[in-house]
Amino acid sequence: MITAGRRKSIAFFIALGAGLILVTLLLYVGPVLLNWRRGILLFLGAVLALLIIAGMVLNTIFLVREIRRNAQHDAFINAVTHELKTPVASIRLYLETLQTRAVDDSKRKEFYRIMLEDSERLLGTIEQVLRTGRVGHAQRPLNLQPIGLGPVVEDCLNRARTLYHVEDGAIEYRPGPALEIMGDAEEVRAAVSNLIDNAVKYSSSDMKIIVETAPGAGKFALVRVIDRGAGIPKAELKQIFKRFYRVPGPMSTRVKGTGLGLYIVRSVAQRHGGRAWAESEGPGRGSTFVLQLPIAK
Amino acid sequence: MNRVLVVEDEQHLAEGLRFNLDAEGYQVTVVETGEGALELLTEEPREFDLMVLDVMLPGKDGFTVMSELRAAGQFVPTLMLTARGHPEDVLKGFAAGADDYLTKPFDLAILIARIRGLLRRRRWLETSIAPPATSVAEPDAVPELGPELAAESATAADRFIFGDKSVEFDALELRVREQVFPLTLMEANVLRYLIQHEGKPVSRKQMLEEVWGLHVDTDTRPIDNFIVRLRRYVEDDPTNPRHLLTVRGVGYRFVASPPKE
Repeated sequence: MITAGRRKSIAFFIALGAGLILVTLLLYVGPVLLNWRRGILLFLGAVLALLIIAGMVLNTIFLVREIRRNAQHDAFINAVTHELKTPVASIRLYLETLQTRAVDDSKRKEFYRIMLEDSERLLGTIEQVLRTGRVGHAQRPLNLQPIGLGPVVEDCLNRARTLYHVEDGAIEYRPGPALEIMGDAEEVRAAVSNLIDNAVKYSSSDMKIIVETAPGAGKFALVRVIDRGAGIPKAELKQIFKRFYRVPGPMSTRVKGTGLGLYIVRSVAQRHGGRAWAESEGPGRGSTFVLQLPIAK
Repeated sequence: MNRVLVVEDEQHLAEGLRFNLDAEGYQVTVVETGEGALELLTEEPREFDLMVLDVMLPGKDGFTVMSELRAAGQFVPTLMLTARGHPEDVLKGFAAGADDYLTKPFDLAILIARIRGLLRRRRWLETSIAPPATSVAEPDAVPELGPELAAESATAADRFIFGDKSVEFDALELRVREQVFPLTLMEANVLRYLIQHEGKPVSRKQMLEEVWGLHVDTDTRPIDNFIVRLRRYVEDDPTNPRHLLTVRGVGYRFVASPPKE
């Protein structure tokens, strides 16, 4: 309902802009055509009119953009509220349970495990938000040094395997030749982890994910994360890397997320002078994410 | 034993709730989606005494589930549970038909207290059908008596006999010769209302307002469903009703002793 309202207000502003431009054109061009003899003065007037029209067009574009950004911002606040409050609610519920009820030993151990997972999830969300702030600043220096790509990817894989309790073989690692990249180890780890997290989150129950490293064109190394999950519509392949953006539809309500992960991936890639992009045959046909990073000389 | 339905897609929260409600002595069922809840609640209307409903669900969200249930004539007392605590969200929850609303993170003791409160009110409502004059109205007047007392005063005469059938309003039962049919609270209320207006036609809108306490332009089809169900109990031949008659273009009319054919 909110989005419908926003779409209406966007349409309204576009119509208003177009209408005003039309009126201006009629008012200015009409008399010019009628009194073409008055030469220079009218010419100046026409130039002025064009300037005003350009201003209006710009104004309309910015208005529409602002409205869109607001909508995404609202969705982001909602998602973060949910992602922060849910684990806190869970931890609190279990703590109060332990405090007020007699709980036998095995249950007690299970509760501790659940609370640890919740605190892990909470920390993940907090780090995601903080990292978004950090990678958004172009001036913030990178701690660049030669790092082995293989070990970093393996780190991320081990983390994901324990975090999501995946079955053996569900996430497969296909290492290419050993490559050293020039990068900030922490940021690269965050980017690769985000890609693997997404692959897990958007996969169905029979999950099959392949992570591979390979030398790319020029002086670049590639990390590919291939899944057989939800897939992405062609029109969304670029959009998904924007901050706060989530593909609209039932998938984004089923899979919880803040809309920050891929923004971080893209920002990290760009800060290293590389790129990040997505490939997909469409919804339901899986997707491949590629992270391109510079090789150390 | 009270049966509680928990609709929550966050597994950790759902398990925590199940453990605690179990410990409180309730029989707990957990479903992860709104669709699942709708299915459970519309198929077996008397299955649950209370529902704890999360708002952020995959698929249909809690608000949608709530209003669809109410529109379908399912009035199980519902506590909504959500991370969003803005006044407009709370109001939206109540407008959809929730009975109570709690934001996450919540205090366990308060959650339990509210659940108890809703179940208590449900019990009072059931006992307060007893005095014919008050029917559904004024559950607030009962607490002074205490539930036990209210129940006692209700037992004596709250029975309506017609033909070889009798309605026991306090026990929520309909006896037809040797058979006993259990009635839901709302079925009993609808029947009571029709009996109170015996012989006179009663419009669907009137029933919605007086029995359900709804004043909006609600869909009146749920009433037809109630009548269909009641006919199955009351009528010897539900396809050829003699007690619960349809008044074309108006609503329904109850006839205690139909003329012999």
